[in-house]
Amino acid sequence: MSNGAWRIWRWPTALALLTLFGLLSALLGEGGMWWGLSWIALSLPLLVIAACLLRPQRSP
Amino acid sequence: MTSQRALRRWAFIHKWTSLICTVFLLILCVTGLPLVFHEELEELLSDDPPYAELPAGTPMANLDRMVEAARARHPDHVMWYVFADDDEPKVIVGMLPFAGAEPKLGRALKFDSRTGALLKEIEPFAQRPLTFLALMLRLHTDLFADLPGELFLAGMGLLFVLAVISGLFLYAPFAGRQRFGEIRRNRSPRLRWLDLHNVLGIVLLAWMLVVGATGILNELAQPLFRIWQRTDVQAVLQPYRGQPAPEAASLASVQGTYDAVRRALPGNVVTSVVFPNGGVGSPYHYLVWTKGASPLTSRLFNPVLVDARTAEPTMVLQMPWYLRALELSRPLHFGDYGGMPLKVVWAILDLVTIVVLASGLYLWLSRRRVPIEARLRELETTG
Repeated sequence: MSNGAWRIWRWPTALALLTLFGLLSALLGEGGMWWGLSWIALSLPLLVIAACLLRPQRSP
Repeated sequence: MTSQRALRRWAFIHKWTSLICTVFLLILCVTGLPLVFHEELEELLSDDPPYAELPAGTPMANLDRMVEAARARHPDHVMWYVFADDDEPKVIVGMLPFAGAEPKLGRALKFDSRTGALLKEIEPFAQRPLTFLALMLRLHTDLFADLPGELFLAGMGLLFVLAVISGLFLYAPFAGRQRFGEIRRNRSPRLRWLDLHNVLGIVLLAWMLVVGATGILNELAQPLFRIWQRTDVQAVLQPYRGQPAPEAASLASVQGTYDAVRRALPGNVVTSVVFPNGGVGSPYHYLVWTKGASPLTSRLFNPVLVDARTAEPTMVLQMPWYLRALELSRPLHFGDYGGMPLKVVWAILDLVTIVVLASGLYLWLSRRRVPIEARLRELETTG
């Protein structure tokens, strides 16, 4: 994979994998720890959005 | 590298699939929001009489007595099903005005499962007052148009999934040259909304695909069950062809049927007993729905055919792959399988999806009168 593609796709890929893990862990795991992991995994994309909205503008 | 021609094609697909489905997807997202919390809202909004205060573990009252009470109250009806909830102490006895009547003509009685006391008459669908949650559910599932409405919304779901996938292919050319998550705030509002649309869309991509695809599957529930009834279930019933169906008076006890299945499948939870009928199920058997007890297996149902004259379990029906997929798609669409925190996250994800849809609509409405092809060329030359 070229450097450019890695730069573009690393975040989207990581967030998609995190989402799928969160969706499945609460379903396949038998409660307990798996629920907690699911809440964390599915909250992280929302935190990423919040960080994008709040972070200061990079000077052009 | 994706060629300009391929990009133009994805842009065309993204524009048209989105334009057609956006209004309906907005309805689905808005009505879906309260539905995420339907259990809590139902409890809050319900005016049903309360259950008797009894110690936990109080055994269930005799189901036959509840069926008798229902029959005595509505002697002109035929018995349809007995549903025993596993998280509320209730038993629902459903009845139809005549054999083979449409489900929406059915009425039901709600009993306290431990005392057997009648709690509520549930009127046929058309006579029921339209509650807030019922309104949300109908707008969400069929737009008040029954099966055609469900199939229509399945089509809108398919367009939504195509819009998300085509959006993925447009992500790199439109957002890839910036730092991830960059929202240019000091330029035009249009650019700001474009960046927001790209960032929110790419972050939510996997969730939107899963909820979209599982939503499509949920809308196809009726046809899928019909296929199963016409193929697998008919094949199982083949040896009984031509035999007279048992009369209502010669039916085995519902309680006996319930107990027999519990003995035959220990560890499973019996959720309902459907009376012999010519629709879904068998004219010669009780169809008893059971499910597992773990978080995952409680979503997977195993229907059991029980001889309607003797209450002997005949066989466990195998669920085909498409119904297993439907069963797994329910929790993944509803978000109701990980406690309250998961529901809250689900609701926020739903709200962010609304922003993705609305920003997409804004981008189209505020489009420069320059075709997307020209914009792509522009990207190429400035890149």
